[in-house]
Amino acid sequence: MTLALLHKILLIAPSWIGPLMSIATGTEQADAGAHGGEHGGEHEGDHGGMAHLPSLIHVIAKYVGGPDWMVAWINVIYAFAIALFLCIVAGRVYAKRQMIPGPLQNFVEMLVEGMYNFIYSILGKDAKQYTPFLGTLFFYILAMNWVGLIPLGHSPSTSLDITVSLAVLVFLYAQWTGMRRLGIVGYLDHLAGEPRNAVTWAMVPLMFPLHIIGELAKPLSLSLRLFGNITGEDVLIAVFVGMGISILAFSPVGIPLQFPFYFLGLLLSAVQALVFSLLSTIYILLMLPHHEEHEPETA
Amino acid sequence: MEHFGSMLALAAPFGLGLAAVGSAYGIGRAVGSAMEAMGRQPEAAGKIQVAMIIGAAFIEALTIYVFIAFFVAMGKLA
Repeated sequence: MTLALLHKILLIAPSWIGPLMSIATGTEQADAGAHGGEHGGEHEGDHGGMAHLPSLIHVIAKYVGGPDWMVAWINVIYAFAIALFLCIVAGRVYAKRQMIPGPLQNFVEMLVEGMYNFIYSILGKDAKQYTPFLGTLFFYILAMNWVGLIPLGHSPSTSLDITVSLAVLVFLYAQWTGMRRLGIVGYLDHLAGEPRNAVTWAMVPLMFPLHIIGELAKPLSLSLRLFGNITGEDVLIAVFVGMGISILAFSPVGIPLQFPFYFLGLLLSAVQALVFSLLSTIYILLMLPHHEEHEPETA
Repeated sequence: MEHFGSMLALAAPFGLGLAAVGSAYGIGRAVGSAMEAMGRQPEAAGKIQVAMIIGAAFIEALTIYVFIAFFVAMGKLA
């Protein structure tokens, strides 16, 4: 019943809804009128069938034109633009730092101090060494996730290339931290499960591959979690935008059906950025020497 | 195998929903227990919250794996 109704709606949709939907969801549908009934609900974009909102790059490539690599490199372009933005903000604040901070400096100091206190509550006295990396990771991922929510924006974290490279970076940094802080012997000892008596030595052939697989699974789960969450959120919003536009078939104005999901997106993006940096912190913590049991006082 | 597409179209969202049910149950239990613990010991709320978020991330990752598998299956459909 409902399906038949939907089919009817898609059939009677005026021909100009097709191009509008293709603009809104970034797909190329040359002849929406003829295929409206069959393909109206399916978006065959360049992302393997996933709906997505148009970004500035898509719009420029479609209406102004540009080099061919522009759309293919969209994630890299946005990732570098966000990195550049963060660098400029940080550079400006650092160059013009004052004893009595202005509004921007005050805000940035608040963010950095909050990040430091958060990492201090986990790493203790090592926090000062690792806050620059982990804090940058958090704000970079947060910015990448949130850019997808603003109009003409696009989340670079909807691409596996970006999330995998971040996760591999964390993996290499954690391994390097382990080798440096524990020494090569201590690192291998850590991977072997720290054998100290006959029973644990007998367990080494089991523990060693287990630890190796465990280490390799960490970047996999980190990258897939970020990619899946942000892609899901962006596809959800794009699908609801498409639904709001197909309402134009029997209503003079479209309805912003995606509106409630922006709040969900804001929350989810922040949680995913937090989880990514939190888990990176924990992976580094696991690689630090832990014989001295320091209890960090709550900061 | 002529009904391959329709079987996949039925099975892939169903599997995703099944995974979501399991994850919802797990996260519900984890967050519920964390809330209870925070109510008992409000001074430890920060530590409990961090542990809760990590646990929730691990549980939720399972649904995300199914979600990615779903997208792979949907790519085969088109």
